[in-house]
Amino acid sequence: MHLPDGLVPLELALAGYAGSALLTGLALARIKRLPDPRGELPRAAMLTTVFFAASALSIPVPPTSVHLMLTGLMGVMLGWFAVPAILVGLFLQAVLFGHGGLTTLGLNGLILCLPALVGFAIWRGAGARWPDLAALIAGGGAVLLALAIFAGIVLLGMPAALDAGAERAALAVFLLAHLPLVLAEGVIVVVLLRVLRRIEPALVPHG
Amino acid sequence: MAEALPTASLSARARLVMAFILAFGIAALQNLVALPIAVALAIGALVCAPERRAVLYRLRPAALLALMFLIVLPFITSGETLVQSGPLRITKEGAHASMLIAGRMMVIVTLVMVLLAPVSAFRLVGALRALGLPALIADLAMLTLRYLDEVTAELQRARVARALRGGATGLRGLPDHALLLATSLIRAQIRAERLWAAMRLRGYGMRHGTLPTPLAMRDWTAIAGTGAVALALVALDRSL
Repeated sequence: MHLPDGLVPLELALAGYAGSALLTGLALARIKRLPDPRGELPRAAMLTTVFFAASALSIPVPPTSVHLMLTGLMGVMLGWFAVPAILVGLFLQAVLFGHGGLTTLGLNGLILCLPALVGFAIWRGAGARWPDLAALIAGGGAVLLALAIFAGIVLLGMPAALDAGAERAALAVFLLAHLPLVLAEGVIVVVLLRVLRRIEPALVPHG
Repeated sequence: MAEALPTASLSARARLVMAFILAFGIAALQNLVALPIAVALAIGALVCAPERRAVLYRLRPAALLALMFLIVLPFITSGETLVQSGPLRITKEGAHASMLIAGRMMVIVTLVMVLLAPVSAFRLVGALRALGLPALIADLAMLTLRYLDEVTAELQRARVARALRGGATGLRGLPDHALLLATSLIRAQIRAERLWAAMRLRGYGMRHGTLPTPLAMRDWTAIAGTGAVALALVALDRSL
């Protein structure tokens, strides 16, 4: 779910960069407030590597197969580090594989970083009391939120003359096509956080 | 020959700046006047690129998406009818929008790939750092890249092993995928502890970073030339 280059008007792409820059500035400021920000770096990098590698693998979810986004999980496990981690992943995907784009890097950053931070907030607020529910909402909900932001940006960027009926139909197909991903991410994040809380609780703060 | 091309000796920093200038310049096009020139520029760059096979391979996802826009948009946009056959109607506005979006997309991706394909991912991150990317993000990117192949291979081995043991498929297989991911994350945590110990032993964060070397004249010339091309395209686009 990456916006490609050339799809959105220049003004929107620049607004995406401004939004992502603000979000990155906020994230870096919060990371600097951690007791040992440099000590957290290797852990964040190693987890980012796993998320990046795992999102490249396709997982069969009948009747289709999906590539996991793992934004909610990144938010839960990386906290504010999720913002630079996602931007790094998006940049590498754009220049190495042609997924996403350079001009849309800012917008794609917002599409994935905001749900990650929402996942982080949900887990921090409810992870200790209702871990499974919080994990389900952080996992599946992050995908839904990313879909909503993506759809909103696409609607803003598409030609004004687009037929309203076709627009609604395309959005419905888009959402339906991503339901397996919402389901897969929800289940995987619930199971994974259950296992990690039992075996390696240090990996899941606030849980 | 790669050595014969004027762009072969450009630094990674210059290539990155040129890629951004061209990408934003092309993204600013709103009409079909300057787009054919941009397309010709992209085709020329691709033909001259020593890595054209690799670039062509990487262009496939973008080409598929561009094709989808070309096929779908003309039919779902209202406006002046160009061609009508039964219930299917191609509009002028739809054809214009589809060509503009698909054209911009392919030109940007091609030029960015041609410019950046000769540069390794590590050098690109180094170039970003020299251009002002915060150290924390650059270090995060370097470490991620350093272990990416290893972790990907590990995950793939685990998947094959799970399949060979007759792991569940479909929806019932999702918890197994979660377990594989959990194992990888635990390994990553252990690796991170060792890595942090090694980084501290090597004095990570104790030394001041070295200043990046200044850009060479050929880099400045290439950046200025790229800026001029981008400006000319936008000016031509806005002139009509």
